[in-house]
Amino acid sequence: MFEVLKAGLETSVQDFPGRLGFWEQGFPPSGPIDAWSFRLANLLAGNDVGAAGLECQFLGPTIRFERDCVIAVTGADMGAEVDGSPLPLWESIAIRGGQVLSIGAARVGARAYIAFSGGIDVPLVMGSRSTFHMAGVGGADGYALKRGQHIPIGGGSGTPGWRVRQQCRPPLVVTRRWEIEVVAGPNDDWIDSAGQERFLTSDWKLSGKSSRTGFRLEGPRWTFAKKATRKLPEHGQEPSNILDHGYPLGAINLAGQTPIILVNDAPSTGGFINPYTVATAAFWKLAQSRPGDIYRFYAVSLHDAQALRRRIDGLCTRKSLEQVSGVRDHAPATPT
Amino acid sequence: MIFEQAEFRIGGDRSLLMMLGDEMSFDLNFKVHSLARSIRESRTRGIIELIPEMASLLVSYDPDLISYEDLTSELAAMHQAMSHSEIDELPSRMFYVPVLYFDPWTRACVDDYRAKIKDKPWDGDLLVVMNGLEDISALRRIHASTEYWVAALGFWPGLCSLLPLDPRSRLTAPKYDPPRTWTPKGTIGLGGAITCIYPDQTPGGYQIFARTPMPIWDRSQRLEAFKESLALFRPSDRVRFIPISSEEYEDIERKVEDGSYKHPQVTYQRFSSRLYRDWLAGIDATTRV
Repeated sequence: MFEVLKAGLETSVQDFPGRLGFWEQGFPPSGPIDAWSFRLANLLAGNDVGAAGLECQFLGPTIRFERDCVIAVTGADMGAEVDGSPLPLWESIAIRGGQVLSIGAARVGARAYIAFSGGIDVPLVMGSRSTFHMAGVGGADGYALKRGQHIPIGGGSGTPGWRVRQQCRPPLVVTRRWEIEVVAGPNDDWIDSAGQERFLTSDWKLSGKSSRTGFRLEGPRWTFAKKATRKLPEHGQEPSNILDHGYPLGAINLAGQTPIILVNDAPSTGGFINPYTVATAAFWKLAQSRPGDIYRFYAVSLHDAQALRRRIDGLCTRKSLEQVSGVRDHAPATPT
Repeated sequence: MIFEQAEFRIGGDRSLLMMLGDEMSFDLNFKVHSLARSIRESRTRGIIELIPEMASLLVSYDPDLISYEDLTSELAAMHQAMSHSEIDELPSRMFYVPVLYFDPWTRACVDDYRAKIKDKPWDGDLLVVMNGLEDISALRRIHASTEYWVAALGFWPGLCSLLPLDPRSRLTAPKYDPPRTWTPKGTIGLGGAITCIYPDQTPGGYQIFARTPMPIWDRSQRLEAFKESLALFRPSDRVRFIPISSEEYEDIERKVEDGSYKHPQVTYQRFSSRLYRDWLAGIDATTRV
């Protein structure tokens, strides 16, 4: 168990690959937006890549452990500390019952992940422990962590003293500019060629009005192909209206002139077009970006997008781990 | 138009959109649901999610188990096979949904949007103007005069998209741009030509003008209608809206609160698409009821 002393900003239990098979009924996959950092944290903690862990967003939680375990913190640098001493990221660390882990404000990146040996042991809902807070399902009683909760963790056997090789970690940027890979479609043919060119050559700013449902973007106007205006009335009156259809995960959904990238808690269907779709392999970049960051979109083929994703999957294995020389331990120093 | 051959579009690196047509019609939607059933029964390896919608299906897949090319081949083949053997009749439950038209809560929600986001005409007035109706009484009469077909679920757990079965009751509406960030639970909305019922206090873009006290989604499965499932509706159900007064609204709310509410439903009917088509042929779709 651990006790939540401070909840942080929307800290939630997630697992990987999340809740699958229920999207038709309105339950999205949920799960960690940066599945790269998340899976590596689990491997460090001695778990399978999919075990339930915590996703911290912008401002992390403070938790007190009620038993010994091995943990790992990956992803954004959020000033992680154990009992007031800095905790190294991308390493497995032995924790004693009674110790307090505090995750602060993100300095580089936006989302950090905490894995616990044995995984977080909340009940499965529709096959997953991921939180879908909008329907109050999964995770810690359906919602983000709340102060005072006691969260159970499983009895795994992680080993401290492991680290993710530098070159196997997602390369977080400090420039606040990101190149985001997209695959054209499903509805790129609703945008005219000037509009397509404009989309791929402009700066798009991530708006503060963003969340796990959607990342809202600010940028230039979209211009439409004939298809968008010469259509049956049931599609709707505005150029970006279309007959309700399924939304791919990662779709850049165009609500009027407002592009919103549909991420892990996004709706499954709706009546707006999706001209481009963010590649799975670029999701970790979305996860680690902050409001005000600039995106440049870069079109890749389906084939290349799938290859990029396979490459990251290949890095989320034990081969990416190496031993740290001299095991680190955060037990209080014994007075001499 | 209903396509002879299905059209496919790439949806990122893990999903595709299979389009069976580009109109909103009952026939096309019936095909979509029939195809979804066939795909499920085929248990094709690598398919993860299947989201049937108005005129299309979104299929998500595992690219390590099946390629885009192989998947589209298989789906095209299933579509061809299905076109040669029509399913004509389905069991179809009917739900009577009590509705307070032009209720105060959706009004307040629209006012909130106007104050904080963007000015717009009140949704009821907009619908009257856009559909060439006399007044809001006509809107209520026309909206409530038809059965609706549950064409799709999704967007939100419990949410249903409803198609009017009587073309004389067809209404269309633009969507909010930008969308609302909230909508009262139980709101009845109209967007494009679809009516929806909001299962919870969710964002939304449909024009809103009525509210039901009847829950269509219950996470705790407290009421009798939710014993089998958290969501009330399934595709191929039908809905009839029953206009009620404020007093009846409050009475139903009380029964929902104390757990005694029983959803009015009829479960012994079958829907015949052949008989429906025959009926359609005999009515003048250019008139209003």
